[in-house]
Amino acid sequence: MLKKPPLTPTLIVIVGFLTVCPVVMLVLGSFSRGFGTFGRFTVEKYVAAYTDPAFAGILVNTAIFTLGSALVATALALFLAYVNTRTNIPGKFLFGVISIIPMMIPHILFAVSWVLLLNPSNGILNRWLMEGFGLSKALFNIYSLPGMILVEGLLDLPIAYLIIAPAMRSFDVALEESSKVCGASNLRTLTRVTLPVLRPAILAAAILVVVRSLASFAVPSVIGIPGRIYVLSTHIYRVISTGFSADYGKASAIGMSALAASILLIYLYRYLTAESSRYVTISSRGFKPTLIDLKRSKYPLFAVVGLLSCVLIVLPVVVLFYTSLVPYAMVPSARAFSLMSWKNWSEVLRDPISLLALRNSVTLGLVGATLGIILSIFVAYVIVKVRTRASGILESLSFLSFSFPGIVIGVGFMWFFVRTPLYATIWALLIGYIATYLPYGIRPLSSAFVQIHSHLEESSRVCGGSPFYTMRRIIIPLLIPGIVSGWILMATMFVRELTLSVVLSRPGSEVLAVQILRFSEDGLWGKLSALGMIMIFISTSLVVIASLLGRKLTQMETVQ
Amino acid sequence: MEIRIDGLTKSYHSEGKEIRALDRVDLTIPANRIFTLLGPSGCGKTTLLRCIVGLETPDAGEIAIGGEIVWSREKKIFVPPEKRGLGMVFQTYAIWPHMNVFNNVAYPLQNRGVAKAEIRSRVARTLQFVQMEGFENRPATKLSGGQQQRVALARALVAEPKVILFDEPLSNLDAKLREETRKELRRFLSELQITAVYVTHDRVEALALSDEIAVMREGRIVEIGAPKKIYFNADHRFVADFIGRANLIPGKVTALENGHAVIASEIGPILGRNSHGLVPGDEAMLCVRPEFMWLAGEKDKARNLFRGRVETLVFIGEAYEGEIRVGDRLLTTTITPTADLAEGDEIHISFDPDHCFLLSA
Repeated sequence: MLKKPPLTPTLIVIVGFLTVCPVVMLVLGSFSRGFGTFGRFTVEKYVAAYTDPAFAGILVNTAIFTLGSALVATALALFLAYVNTRTNIPGKFLFGVISIIPMMIPHILFAVSWVLLLNPSNGILNRWLMEGFGLSKALFNIYSLPGMILVEGLLDLPIAYLIIAPAMRSFDVALEESSKVCGASNLRTLTRVTLPVLRPAILAAAILVVVRSLASFAVPSVIGIPGRIYVLSTHIYRVISTGFSADYGKASAIGMSALAASILLIYLYRYLTAESSRYVTISSRGFKPTLIDLKRSKYPLFAVVGLLSCVLIVLPVVVLFYTSLVPYAMVPSARAFSLMSWKNWSEVLRDPISLLALRNSVTLGLVGATLGIILSIFVAYVIVKVRTRASGILESLSFLSFSFPGIVIGVGFMWFFVRTPLYATIWALLIGYIATYLPYGIRPLSSAFVQIHSHLEESSRVCGGSPFYTMRRIIIPLLIPGIVSGWILMATMFVRELTLSVVLSRPGSEVLAVQILRFSEDGLWGKLSALGMIMIFISTSLVVIASLLGRKLTQMETVQ
Repeated sequence: MEIRIDGLTKSYHSEGKEIRALDRVDLTIPANRIFTLLGPSGCGKTTLLRCIVGLETPDAGEIAIGGEIVWSREKKIFVPPEKRGLGMVFQTYAIWPHMNVFNNVAYPLQNRGVAKAEIRSRVARTLQFVQMEGFENRPATKLSGGQQQRVALARALVAEPKVILFDEPLSNLDAKLREETRKELRRFLSELQITAVYVTHDRVEALALSDEIAVMREGRIVEIGAPKKIYFNADHRFVADFIGRANLIPGKVTALENGHAVIASEIGPILGRNSHGLVPGDEAMLCVRPEFMWLAGEKDKARNLFRGRVETLVFIGEAYEGEIRVGDRLLTTTITPTADLAEGDEIHISFDPDHCFLLSA
């Protein structure tokens, strides 16, 4: 009697197109002879890709890079989560900062700032150490696998922390207490009870970091390429961007293995997170675990956490800002300060390509995030509230893109866009962005929908509110926090997007991160830093404006 | 307003199986009374309530509220919930967390376009009625369970509906608060002269609150009656058993004795009220509640006197709960807590023939 529009099928078609299309195109492309023509199918691209003598070395590099990053990020996240939830360490606000703020600093800028600090020829830290200890050779070389692992590990620390910390928080302390009653020490309790119970969450975090570092392009391109260390993502990039003829077929053939590995790992991740929520019991009464008194080790530990937050947040911004002001790479000194000027800034702001990139990125951020969040509202609604078999399909589809390595999916989209008038326009980028980052919009919105108990909606109807009135006064206001956080997440990601853009961006559709990559390839660190600072400024303003707007919208209802 | 329900049927499909939530329910809920739908979970009581409100669409049948048909498959009538003019208190209270108390309570008036000043005074009056005056600006998230319950009630009452519906509104409160709120609710509702439909699985709640109780089972209404009638003189074995603790003893009717009948049971002859007109030779079931049994002395000449052994004895403060073995049968009894008893004692128990009744088996 209540006739419903076919919402679920419509959404399955849209999301299905966004997620399945690039994969199908990638598969077709990998078996094609030339770009743009499918024609007769062949396996010669696979033969060429996988018999390449350099390929084995690239695989080894990729394995070391991803596993190493996972180890660094997970170990640090575990340390932070434990210290935050289980001890009486001072300055707990830092943990919130560490888990959120670094996400706003674009990965490429973070990588660049480490290059500026630790490159062997004129890295600021290296120079200081050489002068301080009278060394003739730089102590650190960032252009190495350990360098890449360190930077990628730090970049993925927040995401690992956001998985491990809640698990640690909802952990039933009675398990620990009973271990202590049985006579075990704090350390023994940690190793025999706490860590084993948290194992699914820890493994899930590690797997997610592996997936992200496998997809990572910023660190391998800014740090790896100058050191001639290639991993899968940069190898694909090399195949499509150098030489006279970009070989998209071969890139697709290589990409297939990265995509397959990612999808496999994401399924493992989802299995483990389901496992970990089964493992960890959330007590309904608001219990507070007894905190371990750190006594004298309190301040040394706090210093470590403080240093980490400094390295993650303050350092990259300070280094970039400093570099944007000096004429060429130099160690901070009286002379450096006397030479400071806004020259790099004014040059960037007069550079037509940089300005175009700026405009494109802001447009993509605003329009893309808005469209993306509208789609996410409907998808999250169907996933959480409709709950049919079809909505299950939609859920799996929309989370498929969670495992997409940007550069691989970019190649897949390339096969599609080259046949459409969208090729080389920012609309191509827009579609690619939404497809790749849809889960980031859906997640906060589905948790918002979960919180809206059906009784809240129903009681409005019984109170005389029409469906539309109910939507306006009950559902939308309750969704606003989810909408705002989803929009912020998407907008900041779109403004700084690199991996997908590096493939899809063409003359005329340049974006900020790609322009920054060009500057980095040319060693124009001053201009790069100025443009990077502008990018950080834009992201931060988007966050601030969106949060203020969100707060205003929620307040309106309570004041009325 | 009277609610009339005819042949209401509703099925769900779950894991390929069809579940009959409502099976041709016919029911008339009288105006201005507190009417309770009581039954075990899954009996269809909440589904019936939701059909009345309009949150579920039945498969067949007809619902009329105050003479107006609000749902009918044959006549293709469906009045949406917002047009039925009812009030409802949900099990979770459904207090909107993004609003303060005032806006929660004012909501039903706001969407009907009532003037601002009028809204203000009616909300104040209703809040006073539920003893929540002065809470207007309190955010909904800062309310205790009991306060949420009152706000939910105020919201259901503010538009002065002719019918108010309750879906297990006390089940989220702790035991002590539940008892107090039950008494208050009874007072509120009897002051208002309103038709109240109340859904619960708690027999004490149903007995304490209702003017009339409908006991449901597997999508059907088994029996309707006033609390005392259902407690003392149920027509159905299921109802007798569900509304209170009961010893059910089978036997065959052997003789009639002015309004009473004697059955021959495995523990001997028992005399009980014969309100269902059984005749000698009928298979019967005697229902006697533990609270009507008492300890008798050996010399007592009472009818229904049985000798047994105390199998278990549990002290619960207000009483002993005992299981007494009489022959092969265990009888559950409530014994005064001051009795000097121990497990294994041989005792006599008895119950008045007026305080037990016979059902047809």
